[in-house]
Amino acid sequence: MPMFPRRAFVGTLVCLCTLSALPSCSSSGSDRKRHAGTPDDPYVIGMSQCNLGEPWRVQMNADIKRATSPYPNIKIIFKDAQNDSLTQRAHVEELVAQGIDLLVISPKEAAPLTQPVADAYKKGIPVIVLDRAVQGEEYTVFIGADNKKIGREAGKWAVKALGGKGKIVELKGLMTSTPGQDRNAGFREGLDLANNKDIQVVFEADMAWLEPNARKEMASALATQSDIQLVYAHNDPGAHGAYLAAKEADKHGAMKFIGIDALPHEGIRYVKDGILDATFAYPTGGAEAIETAIKILQGEKVEKKITLGTRIYTKENVAKGGEEIK
Amino acid sequence: MFVERLKIAMRHSFARALLPLLLVLFVGLVFNANGAFFAWSTHRSMLREISVHGILACGMTVVILAGGIDLAVGSVLGLSAVVFAWLTLPFELSAPLSLIAVVFMGAALGALSGGFVARYRVQPFVVTLAMMVFARGLAKLVSGGEKITVATSLGAEPAAPKALPAIFRALDTKMFGGNVSAVTLVFAACALATWLFLKHLRAGRYVYATGGNREAAELSGVPTSLTLIVAYALSGLFAAIAGICQAAQETHGDPETGTGYELEAIAMVVLGGTALSGGRGGMGLTLLGALTMGYLQKILSLNAFQTEARLMLTGVILLAAVLFQKFANRRAAT
Repeated sequence: MPMFPRRAFVGTLVCLCTLSALPSCSSSGSDRKRHAGTPDDPYVIGMSQCNLGEPWRVQMNADIKRATSPYPNIKIIFKDAQNDSLTQRAHVEELVAQGIDLLVISPKEAAPLTQPVADAYKKGIPVIVLDRAVQGEEYTVFIGADNKKIGREAGKWAVKALGGKGKIVELKGLMTSTPGQDRNAGFREGLDLANNKDIQVVFEADMAWLEPNARKEMASALATQSDIQLVYAHNDPGAHGAYLAAKEADKHGAMKFIGIDALPHEGIRYVKDGILDATFAYPTGGAEAIETAIKILQGEKVEKKITLGTRIYTKENVAKGGEEIK
Repeated sequence: MFVERLKIAMRHSFARALLPLLLVLFVGLVFNANGAFFAWSTHRSMLREISVHGILACGMTVVILAGGIDLAVGSVLGLSAVVFAWLTLPFELSAPLSLIAVVFMGAALGALSGGFVARYRVQPFVVTLAMMVFARGLAKLVSGGEKITVATSLGAEPAAPKALPAIFRALDTKMFGGNVSAVTLVFAACALATWLFLKHLRAGRYVYATGGNREAAELSGVPTSLTLIVAYALSGLFAAIAGICQAAQETHGDPETGTGYELEAIAMVVLGGTALSGGRGGMGLTLLGALTMGYLQKILSLNAFQTEARLMLTGVILLAAVLFQKFANRRAAT
């Protein structure tokens, strides 16, 4: 009997040694075989998307695809993690194993994806992190927009549109999410209520980015408040839902509606149709990611952080493609 | 004396379902948000807001009475919204044909679930869970992950936006002098049809028999397999109608719409007092459950409760109402 445990112990030990030796063999190869970057042997870029359930992320992938199409020497592999951090982690590892030349990742969450991204980076694969950050410094470049700044611009625009006086309804995105918090905090900064004492936020509610919820909450705002002059929603579907509620109550004519995101088929079209008065672009960074990727692959130096600007679309400028706000 | 009468009244499931509703209404009277609760427009919009969930609850009532559950209704709603928007907007099919096609598709998907439940005796939870995932995937495939709007084109080039077809406006209008939303009338019609089916058709009695005890029903000559297929087909059909209403109200077909609606529909059915074990309950009860849910949400929203408080209160009140029903039921029985 005592023989067996000892043999098992030795066996385990041997196994463990072999196992621990294996990865050190493969990872020591910083001389990873890279693709030549010619049409015959194109660069392979892995794109790990956290979730394709949101139109904005569908747009991000579309932007990346469009930005790559002029380059026959680049091939892209798209992965959709369906809003699951662990799936996304596995995707990153799969892409690394497939021998990609560069990783683009829009992570679901910072903490669980920091390690896999760092592992890829340490193996000599350049990493572009899009929209949401990871912890630490072990990536090549971060590209993202600034929700706080966009909220601030929306607030300033609201003050101007109201002429410094009026009642506002704020329909918030998920307030447990960073974009929701930033679009709220930025907006309040832009409103500067301490100095604009005639402006009041009379009703605020969380609509979790969803149009039917926004419509429901706006109906409540209309039932409890009179003379609402402006509605600020954290995304365009929310603003659209609010518009529909106001229309149902025949009060939409006296109100202004502001949204965020400005997707071509959504916010921008709503502005064209006269439903929204303004929408602020939250750029996907897809095109910028490919631009940066090409620079990196050609050996150019890039900045560690690229902050994207925004564009405002209003009735006046929508035909010309909006106006850039630096 | 009063207590005695109340005890007798509580023997009726209808009275047991009415009491939570009255309690919620009483809360509304107290927390009336500066009188907003007394305006008819508040009730009109509440009735509009519960309509889509309520239409799902009609089909859910039949399936639960038959001893099953249908988790796929939210996804079938989303798929129907997308397909309806696609048929009417870029494809420009006429409204009646689009309606028929979408309703038929919903019923067919439901019948498919029902077939697996009836023929292979796979647990309804599992079958409809699979259908829920499948239908959501199909909705994303059909739509390409984007909303189907008046600007969606069949080709690669974006089309010039068209006017919204009349059917969209007709379903999102107010009728009877602006006092009732059109979707509320659709919900009322669905509820009436379900009630008639369950109360006055032989197939309705088969649903109760199958849900009460499938083996016994089988032995007494009830075609239980067919009954189950019909029950799930009805659920799919109602989900399709709800999807059409959702698309009309949102003015587009959103592949993500309806996520989680199945739980809302189940809550309405359970809150009414229909037993999840099958065979006991009815459409009238679900209607009361739907109103209770609707008023509860409306009151929380009118008073601008924070989301955290809303979710917790909804959970507590749901549990309290169900416990109350169970307690009153046992009391009445003894």
